[in-house]
Amino acid sequence: MHPHITAAALLALAAVGLPAQQMGDTTRAGAARADSAARADSIRIVRELEALSAGASSDSSARPVARAGSSGPINPRLLPDISAVGDFVSDLTPRGSTQEDGSRFAIREIELALQAAVDPYFRGDIFLGVNDLEKISIEQAYLTATALPAGLELRAGRFLMPVGKQNTMHRHDLHTVEYPWVLQSFLGEEGLTGTGIWISRIFAPFGFYQELQAAVVDRFGENAEGVATLEPVNKKLSGLGYSVRLRNYWDLSEASNIELSASAITGKRAQPLVCGVASEPCAGDDETVAGVAARQTVIGADFTYRWRPLRQGLYESFILQAEWLRQMNEDDPEIPAELALADARYAGMRGASSGFYTFARYQLTRRLYLGARVDHLSSSRDGDGDGKLNAQSAYLEFFPSEFSKLMAMFEHTTRSGTQFDFPDLGPGRHANRILLQATFAIGPHKPHPF
Amino acid sequence: MKHETTKRGIGGTARSRSRGAAALFAAVALALTPFVANAQLKVVTSTTDLYDIARSVGGDRIQASHIGEGYQDPHFVEAKPSFVLKLRDADVWAFVGLDLEIGWMPLLLNGARNEKVRPGGSGYLDVSTAIPLLDVPQGKVDRSQGDVHPLGNPHYWLDPENGKRIAHLFRTRFTQLDPAGAAQYAANEKAFVDRIDAAARDWADELATVRGKPVVAWHTSWRYFAEYTGMNIVGFMEPKPGVPPSPSHLAGLIQTMKRTGAKVIIMEPFYDRKMADFVARNTGATVLILPPSVGGEKGVDDYEALMRHDISRLAEVLS
Repeated sequence: MHPHITAAALLALAAVGLPAQQMGDTTRAGAARADSAARADSIRIVRELEALSAGASSDSSARPVARAGSSGPINPRLLPDISAVGDFVSDLTPRGSTQEDGSRFAIREIELALQAAVDPYFRGDIFLGVNDLEKISIEQAYLTATALPAGLELRAGRFLMPVGKQNTMHRHDLHTVEYPWVLQSFLGEEGLTGTGIWISRIFAPFGFYQELQAAVVDRFGENAEGVATLEPVNKKLSGLGYSVRLRNYWDLSEASNIELSASAITGKRAQPLVCGVASEPCAGDDETVAGVAARQTVIGADFTYRWRPLRQGLYESFILQAEWLRQMNEDDPEIPAELALADARYAGMRGASSGFYTFARYQLTRRLYLGARVDHLSSSRDGDGDGKLNAQSAYLEFFPSEFSKLMAMFEHTTRSGTQFDFPDLGPGRHANRILLQATFAIGPHKPHPF
Repeated sequence: MKHETTKRGIGGTARSRSRGAAALFAAVALALTPFVANAQLKVVTSTTDLYDIARSVGGDRIQASHIGEGYQDPHFVEAKPSFVLKLRDADVWAFVGLDLEIGWMPLLLNGARNEKVRPGGSGYLDVSTAIPLLDVPQGKVDRSQGDVHPLGNPHYWLDPENGKRIAHLFRTRFTQLDPAGAAQYAANEKAFVDRIDAAARDWADELATVRGKPVVAWHTSWRYFAEYTGMNIVGFMEPKPGVPPSPSHLAGLIQTMKRTGAKVIIMEPFYDRKMADFVARNTGATVLILPPSVGGEKGVDDYEALMRHDISRLAEVLS
């Protein structure tokens, strides 16, 4: 063959072969990359790919990075986080159950939570409570505006009212089986929620964290049971519930910190009326008791000290918490003329009551905690006489994991007067209670409450 | 005289003009100082390792801080309000991801009210997106498998190759947010990579000592380190991720160690070493406490020092 023809043929072959070889390299690299995406332990393959790429370009910044394990969005259907918390309580009090329904063993509540971003501007949180007494109820459901300027956050819907420290926590997240007595008495056995608008702002003009929270809600808590007013308590804007809370937080060291806050809430609540010489409850419509809207205000302050050394934080920690609340009631609310003509007289809460609790919890081992709480409540309600409740309780808390909790509680209460007769502590001044609790959480990992 | 006064009033003499210019310059410089400071990207990271790499890449164009400490279990950082303040002002929030920070990050991000660092924001930086992952569970995942990370093992920074990937990711994001610093970020990344590569040449002999040797680790946090060093993890102190050792598990582990000849138990400083000491007594092994992060031990002040320290200590014990 002519040498020129041979050379031309070789050149042509080379010209065809070069891209074919390059294509082969590209194909192999592509196949390897796809393989690496499909495999979990793909480090070696990725390194080979990076070496191939590094050969093509000496600039390390051009290095492609493969992500193994997943090749698409984690949640392609944009489903919300769905989780559930079960709260099982056993009341082994020797003198009989102290639970509202008299049960010895009960599922106190199942809480279902649905949480997700709604759009770039809002987040949605829904908490439904299910139990045997109330069946299903909306515990919380609120829209949070996440795109406001100046450190502002706005919520609309139903939420735990920002009053006091423990009221802002779900009951199953507490380090005790029940809310402290002062909260149960002034804010409700299951905590105080409100439906309305909540706004808060964080700031630090003095170099430490501060947050101002304010809320306006449809009404302050629930009406006294079976009491109905002629007009809604919130007919006037002054009848709505208004609350404000100022949080202050300081780091004392990397292991310890304190939080000192103050709260207030005011609003009108339906209170019962009595009629006639015998002071019987005034009959209202539909088997209700006629009532009147009376202003109630609660103010409070709370303090929390936390200690958790960072190096041994899995095994050692300590919390000291105290909260004081004072409830002030309108003594002589205006009674509607038509009821006044029927000789209706105010028989609702009067005067003032106050109370506090102090709670301490020490971590014994990685999974075991020992806690104690002291409660005090006193009332000087006019006409009712004085009343007092003192309680001392101890808690042993065991966490098999982050997602389950077992707790045992012993409590001794001492009462005087008749004003603090919740939940059926039985006759006599002294009562001992023994409660056991088991809670569990299923679904996505939730943040640890702080 | 009147004219001169007027002249001074308008333009001044040459000397007074130069004084005026100096004063004006000083005033402008003073006025600009806060803007120069503000021009720095405020970068907050979840761990000290990301912090150190971010600092290496960002240099003086960023102002970096971190949430967790190197001697702290990163799963259990407390969501303190003081951290909320850091994130409120951040331009970039860089985190390990893969649910490592799931127990505290959502509270901080929600509390911070800073759109830049929320998911989808310009400063929301999930560093795991740059990493080829280990231990991505296959099949059904549930909590009977322990505190499993469904998206993969998050302790990837303990492989220097991943350290370089993290640096590249930081360079890319910093350049997007601060294009004027592109050249500096590129140069800093290259310097970081060169430094790690040079260090890797230094510790190559030590790796040869480690390669293939059986060891036991407390938690799955040493999987990437094992992948890089070649040490062979034959068992874990935890029966399942996040679950403390049980007696029956330890009995089985002791048998495994005797069978495989594992003579080292590697653990982090934040775990209680009593159980590891018990196993060591029964197997003749050594408990080796290694810092898993920058700042986890005195003198381990940067990423290179962390890798150098851990490789060196391991080689020393295994040899």
